[in-house]
Amino acid sequence: MQRIVQSFSQAVVLVAALVMAGCATAPPADDPDAVAEFKQTNDPIEPANRVVYAVNDKIDQVVLRPVAVGYNYVLAPGVRSHIHNLLDNLGNPVTLMNDMLQGKPRRAGDTLMRLVLNTTIGVGGFFDVATGWGWPAHDADLGMTFAVWGAPEGPYLMLPIFGPSNPRDGIGMVGDMAATPTGYLPHGLENTVFGYTKTVVGAVDARAGVVDDLDKIKAQALDPYATIRSLWRQHRQSQIDEAKKPEILTQPSAWGGSK
Amino acid sequence: MLGRRGLAGFGLAIGLLAPFAAWADDTDQAEKFVDKLLKDLSAVVNGGKPVDAQKAAMRQIVFEAVDIDGVARFCLGRFWRTATPQQQKDYTEIFRNVMVSNITGKVGEYQGVSFALGKGQARVEEISVASTVNRPGNAPNKVDWLVANVGGKPRVIDVVAEGTSLRLTQRNDYSAFLQRNNNDVQALIDALKKQAVAAN
Repeated sequence: MQRIVQSFSQAVVLVAALVMAGCATAPPADDPDAVAEFKQTNDPIEPANRVVYAVNDKIDQVVLRPVAVGYNYVLAPGVRSHIHNLLDNLGNPVTLMNDMLQGKPRRAGDTLMRLVLNTTIGVGGFFDVATGWGWPAHDADLGMTFAVWGAPEGPYLMLPIFGPSNPRDGIGMVGDMAATPTGYLPHGLENTVFGYTKTVVGAVDARAGVVDDLDKIKAQALDPYATIRSLWRQHRQSQIDEAKKPEILTQPSAWGGSK
Repeated sequence: MLGRRGLAGFGLAIGLLAPFAAWADDTDQAEKFVDKLLKDLSAVVNGGKPVDAQKAAMRQIVFEAVDIDGVARFCLGRFWRTATPQQQKDYTEIFRNVMVSNITGKVGEYQGVSFALGKGQARVEEISVASTVNRPGNAPNKVDWLVANVGGKPRVIDVVAEGTSLRLTQRNDYSAFLQRNNNDVQALIDALKKQAVAAN
């Protein structure tokens, strides 16, 4: 955990240095359309963000993408989905915490059922039995929780390695890492190895799932940086809108109700 | 007894409700339209025909179902007004090519896809029809189809996948490109032409 905080604070320092190196020049006030667009894009430190993006992209080309492609090539889709399920189940405690912080008993119940069913009947999360029985997965993280509480997102931020973010979601990410129960295993070689493995496999799993999509975006976009910014911000907003929706009481399909 | 005021109120209520009735019809029509579109699309990608035949069939469907010219105008945004008529014409033409080849280019990847139609919901100017797209080996995706009445017929004006709008993303891409190229629409047209050559 200390390691994560340390590398994160290093990243913040790097970003701060880059910010001083380059802020986007706002368009002249007599061009209202351009001003509106500048505000809507919400990327005042765009030149610095673009530098970080270029570095991330290089790292991705050299390390992450080849590993992800190899992972997809070597492992059968079934095996990959088991690994994905395991990681998803390890993330359920944090999701549950955020469901509760967001004041969403229904969603918290879904996550609790997922955690219980997949850990037991799903053999430690190897199988995702909960989805088929009417408790599908949803997203909940601390950045979303802050948003539900009314915190503003702040300017768009391209984090080193982690990619698209903003101050609200960046802080949320650190908080979620700190809250992950596997971080509190007793010290020991096995647990250290487990921690590293989980982080690395998690990164590979996440990257491997978007190989085709990201390739397509980079091939088809005239400005991949701007396209990724747009996609990420829209997707984030839709996650938050989903979390803000009032809950409707329904019965899970396993109990004869309809979802 | 219904007095004159009562009748007037009744008339007013009908007048107020009429647009909603029309909306309900439109929503119904939009749901049917998207249902047919999804059935047509899955028939093509799961039909087992050679890839070229699939591409041709899909091209046909896209041209009929999507308001491509409207989407093209939307994607150029504020720069549509600054473009010359010739540039507008060139841009729309190249946009059509790029869009359609982007959609049909990876037709093989959609093998095994299935759709589940959800409910239609009236918005201000369009109707959003929900669906779930299932691809083998992928988590199910929520995809909303925005349908508007264009020239008396329902047409797709946007596709929103997991909360991301296709046309808005495209517009943001173009405007970022234009900003970095002196807001020159001709530069955009040339870049799109290059892209079309690379794709074919």
